[in-house]
Amino acid sequence: MNTVNDVYLNICHLYPDTLNLYGDRGNVICMEKRLAWRGIGVNIKQVPIGCELEWKDTDLFFIGGGQDFEQEVLLPDLEGKKADAIREAVEDGRVFLAICGGYQILGKYYTTHDGVTCSYIGAIDACTVGGAKRMIGNFMFRCAPEDGGFLVTGFENHSGRTYLGPGARPLGTVVRGFGNNGEDGGEGARYKNVFCSYSHGPLLPKNPGLCDRILELALRRRYPGFVLPELESGFEHRAASYMSNRLGASPC
Amino acid sequence: MSSGAGDLIAAAAAYFFRRIVNGAFVCYNADMKRLRFLTALWLGKIAVLACRVLGRGGTDMPGRLALKICPDVLKYLSSGVNTVLITGTNGKTTTSRIVERGLAAAGLDCFANRSGANLLSGIVTCFASNAKLSGKSRHDWAVIECDEAALKFVTLYIKPVSLTVTNIFRDQLDRYGEVTHTLSSIRTSVANIPGAVLCLNADCSLTWSAADDAKNAVISFGVDVPIYRGEVSDLSDAPYCSRCKSRYNYDYRTFGHLGGWRCSSCENKRHQPDIRVTRILSSGESGTAVVMSIFDSEYTARINLAGGYNVYNACAAAACLHSAGVGDGTVIEALGSFEGGFGRMEEFSLGGVSARMILVKNPAGCNQVINYLCSGSGPALFVICLNDRAADGTDISWIWDVEFENLAARKDRLTGLWVSGVRADDMALRLKYAGFDEGELRVIRDYNELLDEIAAQSSPVYIMPTYTAMMDLRGIMTKRFKLKKFWM
Repeated sequence: MNTVNDVYLNICHLYPDTLNLYGDRGNVICMEKRLAWRGIGVNIKQVPIGCELEWKDTDLFFIGGGQDFEQEVLLPDLEGKKADAIREAVEDGRVFLAICGGYQILGKYYTTHDGVTCSYIGAIDACTVGGAKRMIGNFMFRCAPEDGGFLVTGFENHSGRTYLGPGARPLGTVVRGFGNNGEDGGEGARYKNVFCSYSHGPLLPKNPGLCDRILELALRRRYPGFVLPELESGFEHRAASYMSNRLGASPC
Repeated sequence: MSSGAGDLIAAAAAYFFRRIVNGAFVCYNADMKRLRFLTALWLGKIAVLACRVLGRGGTDMPGRLALKICPDVLKYLSSGVNTVLITGTNGKTTTSRIVERGLAAAGLDCFANRSGANLLSGIVTCFASNAKLSGKSRHDWAVIECDEAALKFVTLYIKPVSLTVTNIFRDQLDRYGEVTHTLSSIRTSVANIPGAVLCLNADCSLTWSAADDAKNAVISFGVDVPIYRGEVSDLSDAPYCSRCKSRYNYDYRTFGHLGGWRCSSCENKRHQPDIRVTRILSSGESGTAVVMSIFDSEYTARINLAGGYNVYNACAAAACLHSAGVGDGTVIEALGSFEGGFGRMEEFSLGGVSARMILVKNPAGCNQVINYLCSGSGPALFVICLNDRAADGTDISWIWDVEFENLAARKDRLTGLWVSGVRADDMALRLKYAGFDEGELRVIRDYNELLDEIAAQSSPVYIMPTYTAMMDLRGIMTKRFKLKKFWM
């Protein structure tokens, strides 16, 4: 295994105790391990409700999904300085990975099924409308070519339908399942270095290509031109191809 | 019998029954109701027999058939039976086994849905099997564990002596939705049964909030002290107050979000329970010794099943037995003598090798199992079988919330770590990221091969299957190792 001397990455896990639904921390475990296996140092800072967000020294932000109740608990915390800090960090080109509820709160607002609108951070050009029917199940999408073109398998479970404005583009195209809204075939969002997805729980472990791409992007801010050494990823690909075969597509 | 065939028989039977009834008995409304009920019961009974003759478990299909013919069949079947209902995310089955033991020790004649068929149809099957042809129950008491989501339907028909709620954790999100949905389902159920005593876990803020609007009598239970040495690290499923959304502070934590909770801003807090464990005296592979206080009378009790979570199950069962009027001495006796339920540390001998089956289904329960396994000594082989069928939960993301890292810290104890089941590859991947090298893991997909390999071991084996994996494994084990059939 290659080791890289003195290279490190600062990761901020936002709202780890609130937005931690169903295996989201698998993404953090995955990033941490894939860096450590390459001898790259990683500092993970947890920023819960009520703690100030010092974004300037952070390379990569992770935000997970939450239940409706927890997302309500968050709202007052998001109104103040934290939303400003997140918007500044996004505009500065910091890397974000936001899943499900975390994806929604990076958008502009959420209108519930019964017509109540909550304002969100507005860091990306997306808004979400609550639906009556939950979109649940194993799903699969293909990342846009400029994002590596990976075939990604995951599990979605959301009633919110997210619509992107002209300021954002989808992370990929739905191959099986619903994606953003079950209508336009788009899944997730991309804006600057922000990656959003409805693939809740552990998106990254089964999709190491996407994980490494996100890590590399974050490392390059600190170390321009940085290239991650390859890792043996047999288990990762076996788990992914089991699901992609089951859903009826061959990985390529 | 496949569910498709079951549905077909049910539909055909319902059709012919309607034809006959509509033709001949249309004038006799009361008689017709009774006839409809009896037909449902008898066909249900025939279906139970047919399933057994065919060598299948059939805990579900007969009930579905009976429900098609007579939707309120359970109302008739349960009338006159003193029923205790037991629900909650984890611990339903073990709690039921203790309660069953306690009722029997008190000389009360009871039956129970032992195989864990705890949806409406399974509960109907259980009542139908235990009814005479006249529809009257053969037994005075019933111990019924009930799925949290099915409870709101079951409580439309059964008017129980008490309802015990063991705890509420996140569980199978694809099926139950968020924990707040489970909670609201339990609240609806409580409103259906105003006459029932509620036995509630005082240490679980979610469970406790189920009684917020209820006027039912309540017996509370809990544990006054930490169960495990050292810091409890698992995720909390309820960090914020159900009333005012402020953060809960804890005087102590037992595991998950259970413990001495109090809201940081409003009056909402844990109350001292009526039935509580005040001290953990010792814990080992064969059980836990505790001091239990039952309405201020103190007893030393031995809980006949290892694992910290079984301390809670013992408290829940004690509360339930108290609601049934069982004396303290008998309760303590039951705690020390009950036998683990279906797949709950159930012990098998596979070709002379001791194998324990421990069902896993959600992060809180699985963390407790890991905790138990890590606290043991002596070499052992661990096997994890992960399926993702409907009864397991189709979303397996939860394995990333389980502290398998703790297992990796006990490699000294492991003679091997094997994975199997439909999603074996995902399980292997999780374990890789928990700290196991690819070479330390073995994927064995075929259950026959898996059982052969287990039978060739020299050290004890712990098998952790999800629900349908357990059912599949049992099917093969029953045939190959001449085990008792589970519906007997």
